[in-house]
Amino acid sequence: MSKVLELLAHPDELKAALILKYIRKPLNSATDTTKTPELRRCYELLTLTSRSFAAVIMELHPELRNVVMLFYLVLRALDTVEDDMTLDPKLKVKLLREFDSKLDTLDWSFDGNGPNEKDRAVLVEFPCILKEYHALKPAYQNIIKEITHKMGNGMADYILDDNFNLNGVQTVKDYDLYCHYVAGLVGDGLTQMIVHAQFGTKDLYQGNEQLYESMGLFLQKTNIIRDYAEDLEDKRSFWPREIWSQYAKSLPDLAKPDQTVKGLQCINALVLNALSHVTDVLTYLSSVHEQSSFQFCAIPQVMAIATLDLVCNNPEVLHRNVKIRKGSTCRLILESRTLRGCVAIFQRHLRAIKRQIPVQDPNYLKINIQVAKIEQFIEEMYQEQLPQNVLPQETAVYRRTQERTRCDDLVAAKIQEEQTTFMLTCTALCALAAALIVYNKY
Amino acid sequence: MSDIKSVLLIGGAGFLGLHLIEQFNAISPQPQIHVFDVRPLPEKLSKQFTFNPSDIVSHQGDLTSSDDVEKAIKESGADVVVHSASPMHGNTQKVYEMVNVKGTRNVIDVCKKCKVKSLVYTSSAGVIFNGQDLHNADETWPIPKVPMDGYNETKAIAEDMVLKANDPKNGFLTIALRPAGIFGPGDRQLVPGLRAVAKLGQSKFQLGDNNNLFDWTYAGNVADAHVLAAKKLLDPSTSSKVSGETFFITNDTPAYFWALARTVWKADGHIDDKVIVLKRPVAILAGYLSEFFSKLTGKEPGLTPFRVKIVCATRYHNVSKAKELLDYKPKVSIEDGIAKTLAWMDEGL
Repeated sequence: MSKVLELLAHPDELKAALILKYIRKPLNSATDTTKTPELRRCYELLTLTSRSFAAVIMELHPELRNVVMLFYLVLRALDTVEDDMTLDPKLKVKLLREFDSKLDTLDWSFDGNGPNEKDRAVLVEFPCILKEYHALKPAYQNIIKEITHKMGNGMADYILDDNFNLNGVQTVKDYDLYCHYVAGLVGDGLTQMIVHAQFGTKDLYQGNEQLYESMGLFLQKTNIIRDYAEDLEDKRSFWPREIWSQYAKSLPDLAKPDQTVKGLQCINALVLNALSHVTDVLTYLSSVHEQSSFQFCAIPQVMAIATLDLVCNNPEVLHRNVKIRKGSTCRLILESRTLRGCVAIFQRHLRAIKRQIPVQDPNYLKINIQVAKIEQFIEEMYQEQLPQNVLPQETAVYRRTQERTRCDDLVAAKIQEEQTTFMLTCTALCALAAALIVYNKY
Repeated sequence: MSDIKSVLLIGGAGFLGLHLIEQFNAISPQPQIHVFDVRPLPEKLSKQFTFNPSDIVSHQGDLTSSDDVEKAIKESGADVVVHSASPMHGNTQKVYEMVNVKGTRNVIDVCKKCKVKSLVYTSSAGVIFNGQDLHNADETWPIPKVPMDGYNETKAIAEDMVLKANDPKNGFLTIALRPAGIFGPGDRQLVPGLRAVAKLGQSKFQLGDNNNLFDWTYAGNVADAHVLAAKKLLDPSTSSKVSGETFFITNDTPAYFWALARTVWKADGHIDDKVIVLKRPVAILAGYLSEFFSKLTGKEPGLTPFRVKIVCATRYHNVSKAKELLDYKPKVSIEDGIAKTLAWMDEGL
């Protein structure tokens, strides 16, 4: 009931929720996800482990849908090993380091997780995943194997890192490296898949590591900032000491009532750090032209900037997890189907972020300048505010944006159609209601 | 790569001129530095300048006098002339014409006569501005047919004269730099003006929605751009790419207008808890009223429609050309520049 009230209090979001649920049509039908019993079961496992992610994967182009689903499940399996505190660390390290070699087998499985480990089914039923993995094109199999190898070893290294386990992340460089293993590698794999499928520009992967790296790091850093209270409760520490030590003697001190100002300044410093990835994110998105892949990449990024806006200068972050409203989520999903829509979302939240920073904050001007830098970059992407007779500068990002805009125009037509349907439906319902009222009067 | 043996800084005793002395003085090997101005170097220099005043040869004279300029050029033996002399905003059209147009014409003519190798002219980012928004403007943007004011008009005329005077075949190379929003030690307008606003208690007002971007440029960075320009002009391997060209020079960090203002006020120990926001149309109306009542009382109006439009306009620039062709990189950040400026103001010179 409170959700309904929340939606009613935000009419734009209510409209978005209704369109998303009743009017919008999926990009690609998902009928081929039940071709074999193993494939069906894989998708069931996907839904069990992440309902929201499953919904996004279902929308993917058939060329990539199974690939990404299996990539997700394999990484989830890896995570399940890493997260399980009941497993002996030695066994865990060994398993993580050799996990990619299990992909070469036909029937390997693992039944050693604790009974309460949430996603243990993924490991118990791993043969099912293996069956479909081997049905993929060899190039995709190689990508999944490569990333599994790197991530498994990264996870193993962190388990053996006593300093990390005792004191958490130290420097900003360590912070970036940790986020690389947790999220940057996922971006690496997904990007290889998109490029191999020819759904993005060829140079999206080769020679442009910082683009897909930033896609992963932006998401992960946003989550790390948001999860302060929860991670503290779990005795984990991902905020880099190099940053938080400027504001407090220990990380938990930031949450003390008399330290709120310092806590907020620390949050804002981390937001500033995360914002350094935004121009890469926008460049990356401008390079993806297949629509379902674009939406797959765009949705998490617009959620992240909305979350950064929410956590920025927000004292609640120090005490509990904050989340964007479900209605906001619906609106973001609908608005982010075009690059221009994504840019508008980023710009809206970036301006809100800089508006929230108090003048007293040590990073007040730096955050303003970083936001301005991104706005300047957006101007370079579109170059629509030129005087007469001045031609745009044909920079690389301008050309990508132009190409992506041609894709946007096709999507914009569908969006317009949805809006029209919504208006007609509302009008019809109002007319019906009016007729009933009149009828009852007589 | 040719060294700069001797440089003549026209306007060298002024705000930007002192920074030019500082930056040219830092070149290795050190060139001879000559200054031509209507007045001598200030007796007391800010502690932030490290050059020795006795190393600088000073020439006094009238910019529009060919004899005066010629004498200075010959005595200096300059291979580079930097022309940064310019009247401040708020002068009459006659002064603008005299200094910016006639004075610059004179400099060009005498440089050619004396076989000077290169001329670096300090133009202004304002030459392309006439009140409309500038979004990431670059050097391809045209100079408006109807200038906004006499200052920008005469700077544009002077710039055009300088660029047309570029004559590689006869060994005379020219370049024009367009700095935006120069501030720093010696600045009498930008930072001191904002400081005065805070003292009047007007810093609690925000005109517009503060989504308009502005470019400020620290004076030391502007001076550094002049050094780079001079070096590129004298270097045979780079001169053809940069001569006859104009370049925007900024700190390459545009920022929101009121964020810049508030940063100055904060550094000055002044932070407003409550800010009153006036939308642009409301602010313009207030400007008209202010102007009206000022006429009645005979006082100078603090708020005018013109100032509101300036403050609410977007004016930021793309300095890719300077970064690429001049190897320009701003060395002093806005924040550090503000700190240096306030430190200079506290010296009370």
